[in-house]
Parts: sequence; C-alpha cells; structure tokens
Amino acid sequence: MTARLVMNANPAVLRDTDKISLAAEQIMQHRCRRLPVVDKDGKYVGVFGINCLLRLVLPRALVMEGGLDNAAFLKQDLKDLHQRFIRHMEDPITICMKEDVRVISPDTPLIETLRILYNHKGSLPVVEPKSGKFCGVVTYWDVGAAILAAEV
Amino acid sequence: MVEHGAIEAQTLFGLDPTWLAATLFLCTYGLILLERVNRAIIALFAAGLMILSGVLTQQAAIQGIDFNTIGLLTGMMIIVAITRKSGVFQYMAIWSAKKVNADPWGILVMLILVTAVFSALLDNVTTVLLIVPVTLLITDELKLNPYPFLFSEIFASNIGGTATLIGDPPNIMIGSAVGLSFNDFVINLGPAVVVILAITLIPIYFIWGRTLDAPQELRDRVMAYEEKEAITDKVLLIKSLSVLTLVILGFVLGHDLGHQPATIAMFGAALLMLLDNLPRAFTDQAEVCHRTYGNVEWTTIFFFIGLFIVVYGLESTGILDTLAHEVLMLTGGDMAITALSILWVSAIASALVDNIPFVATMIPLIKGMAGAMGGAENLMPLWWSLALGSCLGGNGSLVGASANLIVAGFAERAGHQIHFLKFLLMAFPLMLVSIVISTFYVYFRFL
Repeated sequence: MTARLVMNANPAVLRDTDKISLAAEQIMQHRCRRLPVVDKDGKYVGVFGINCLLRLVLPRALVMEGGLDNAAFLKQDLKDLHQRFIRHMEDPITICMKEDVRVISPDTPLIETLRILYNHKGSLPVVEPKSGKFCGVVTYWDVGAAILAAEV
Repeated sequence: MVEHGAIEAQTLFGLDPTWLAATLFLCTYGLILLERVNRAIIALFAAGLMILSGVLTQQAAIQGIDFNTIGLLTGMMIIVAITRKSGVFQYMAIWSAKKVNADPWGILVMLILVTAVFSALLDNVTTVLLIVPVTLLITDELKLNPYPFLFSEIFASNIGGTATLIGDPPNIMIGSAVGLSFNDFVINLGPAVVVILAITLIPIYFIWGRTLDAPQELRDRVMAYEEKEAITDKVLLIKSLSVLTLVILGFVLGHDLGHQPATIAMFGAALLMLLDNLPRAFTDQAEVCHRTYGNVEWTTIFFFIGLFIVVYGLESTGILDTLAHEVLMLTGGDMAITALSILWVSAIASALVDNIPFVATMIPLIKGMAGAMGGAENLMPLWWSLALGSCLGGNGSLVGASANLIVAGFAERAGHQIHFLKFLLMAFPLMLVSIVISTFYVYFRFL
C-alpha cells in the first residue's frame, strides 16, 4: 500500500518554458491551487501556485518579504489589478515557481503519504527519487475518492 | 596574572595575557570583517574564549558588559515593536507624501525629513524597515525609479540618528560610557545634523531632484490614498504614542534626576506592555508577550554583550592605554589635531567596517587620554568627534550601517538592486562633505 494507490498519474502539468498567461488559464480551468511543473524530459522542477498569480496582481510592496502589513489605505480596483496582470502575461512561469515544495516518492507508504498531506496542507507531487521523473500528484480529492470507494 | 580590581584570573598555559587578549581581539575583528559567520556568534564565541583562556574571570567579564547600553537598546526595541503595530509610521509617510500633492521632489524631501526625525527618536534600522515599503509603493505608483528615494533615506536615517542619544548605536555606547544625557546630544550634535541634512539635499536635488516628474493622473492615485486607513489600532496608537512621549520626556529630564536611559527605556517598555496586555485575557498574555519579546533583535543584543567582553578583555591588559598614548604622541597631544583625527578616522573606518566594534574599542582608548588632556572633562571634543564620525561615516558605503543593508535588501526584493560600487561612488563623496562640515563644526564649536 503506497502513494501509487491514491495518486493521480495524469494530472494537468505545466512546462518550465510556459508563460504566465497559460498557467493562469490552466489553473482557472482546472480550479486547482497549484500545478506541477516539468521540463522537456518529464522531470519534475517545481510547482506553480495560484498564490503566484495573486502575487503578480498586487503591488510589490505588499507581497515582498518585510513589506506592508496593511493595505487598507490603498484605493485600487479590479482594473488596476488587471493592468498589473497584463504586464506579466508574457513572463515565464519560472519567475515565481516554487522549487522547495515537499515531494514524495511513488513508494511512500500510504499512511505516511496521508500524514505528509495532512501536515503539508496541499497537494503532493510524486517524483521518482533516482531519476527525478514526475509520476503524478496526490491531492485531497484523489485520497478522498479512494477512501470512499474502498469496501469495508 | 591579570588583575581586574579584586578579581584575578590565571591565563591558560601561563600565556602572556596581553598577547592573548590582543590576538583574540584581532581574530574577532578579522572574522567579523570576513562575514563568513554571523557577528553575534563570533563576538560571543570570542567572549567565551576571553574567559576560558583566563584573560578575564566570569565576574570581570560581566563587569565589562555595559548594561545601560543593553537595557536602552532592548527597551527601545520593545517599545518600537509594539508601536509599529499601530500603523503610525505608514500613516506619517503617506500623510507627508500627500502634503506636497504627491509631487515627486516634494515626496523625496518629506520622506527624508520623516526618516531623519524617526531615526533620531527611535532608531534608524526600525525607521527604514517601516518607511522603505511605503516608499516603494509610492514610487511604483508614480512609475519612478526608487533609487534616489532609497539613497536619500539611507542618508537621512544615518544623519538623523546622529542627533540624539538613542538614534544610533554608537551614540548609545558613547552616551552610556561617558554619562552624557539625551539633551547633551541634541544640544551639541543637533545643529550640525540640521546643517548636514540641509546641505545633503543640494547635490541630491541637482543629481536627481530636478528631473523627477510624474503625470498628474499618477499623482492623483497617490492623493487617493487614505492615510487614516493605515492606522490599524487607534487605541494602541494612543497608548504607544503616550508612552513614547513619556520616554522621550524621561530621557530629557531623567539625567538630572539621576536616572539612566536604560531604566527609562525598560520602564517605558514595561509600561507599554502592561497597557497592551491589560485588556487581554490572562491566558492570551503569554502568547502576546512571547511575540513582543520575539521582536527584540537578540542577535544585536548578543553581539553587543560579546563585544563588550572582548573589548574589556583587551582593555584590562592595558593595551588600549598604551595605544592612547601612542595616538597622543602622533598628534602631539594637541586637542584640535586629536579631535579632528578621531573624526576623520572614525568616519572612514565606519564607512568600511561595522562601526559598533570600532566605537567599542575607541571608547576605552579615548578614556585613556584623560590624564594627558588634563582630565576626563576636557575630552568632550573627542567624544563629539567620535559620535559624528562613526554615525555619519556609516553613509560612506552600503556596508557602513545596518540600515543601509536593510534598504538594499528591500530594493533587491523589489527588483531594483542597489549596486555596491554605484552607491559608493555617490555616497562616499557625499559622506566626506558631511565630515568636512563636521570638521568646521567641531573646530568652531568645541575647540
């Protein structure tokens, strides 16, 4: 009983050469919080999260480390946010791809997989340890579906 | 055998304590300069070696720590940590930008003034931590290069911090070691600071100021900021500003009543924590206290503790007295030459290396000159020269002061890297201008 049992082996993925516009389209289409990113050889390189999109539409002074912790005084509307997004549409997704996300091996025991998922609070990329090949993702929904479908 | 009053220590393997202390001191300086290991670790490690090698006993080492400096720093850090939660600093920055109708040059001048005043009354590191994000927001809104603004704020923070006892760590150390009051600093250094700040604006205007421009539509966006919304907690704002006012008053009046600045700062911190926690449930107070104490920059505090011990170890061997006599031999014992030498050497040194260890070493060295200068009361020109040189010298390069590095860090994260050489080429000559002004000031005011 390993992560393979609850893993989605064919999730939507992004390529490391993709642009922000495509990443936004994919994330909105699949309604997921983040997508794994792979290189041309199918090796895992990181994840691109919806938080990155939010980061790009907000003023830098609000989202940078040590930035403003209150923006109530700012009067900006959706048009301002859209304007800021347009400026980044052609940027590569690597500008805010996260590389330090917890990954698991396809052979990680099932309960350990669920423990990591519980503590990590986000989907887990499944990566072959030796080759770095991307195998799939474990999400709350896949796990939930697998548990509900299990016969007692 | 080394003697420290009634305390005696035996050095390891009977090594010469003078050489041992000097070697440890030089290694500490060298390692701090290398920036391979955090300076707080180096200082504490070297302090431990001073004791373990027998240069100092533990009791002597504790005697060497200036708890007035430690208490003042810690107390002010706690007060600032609570006050900043109210949003008052952002309020002031936005208010000042709107006061000049969001005109770019006007904003730059106002932010310089706000930074200088806050740096004088709090500390320059905290000031830039709070002002720079607002600056980046405003320059982003006006589509301006933030570099002139950040450069000017670095200068304003170091110049403003020079004016008061609490504005910059060198002043805290000098004030504590010599027993100088808050008023002494304001009266003796305040006028020089005002002149230097005003004159610094001239080259900044000619290099950047006169070309700064922003379309009216972008300025309108800044004018639409509602600064009142920056205040996140009005009750906390009233409490913290009241305590801050009382603390400043305490600094002004406390010296004549025999109260040390550390007592005032720590009592102010305790009072503000009390006011902040009183309305909370007892069970919540532990968490709030934990967070407040967590905001104290312990690395700085432990750096000071370690450094005080290392310098005291060196001082106890009599090397600094010997060095003081050597310096006096070089200057011929002339007060003017000695004062101006200290001013220039401390300015250049502070531009290149951390001014805290430099000042920590200079304090006992200058004290050692008292005999030759006709008593401790005649040393005042030397103390003011050290304060001016070490505080203003921090403007000379990006590594000259902690505030400079913090601004550079913000700039980098915002995608506007401040390059060391580019900064140096403009900052070093401008720092020298401030030292030339200080030279005239020291000469005509104190000599």
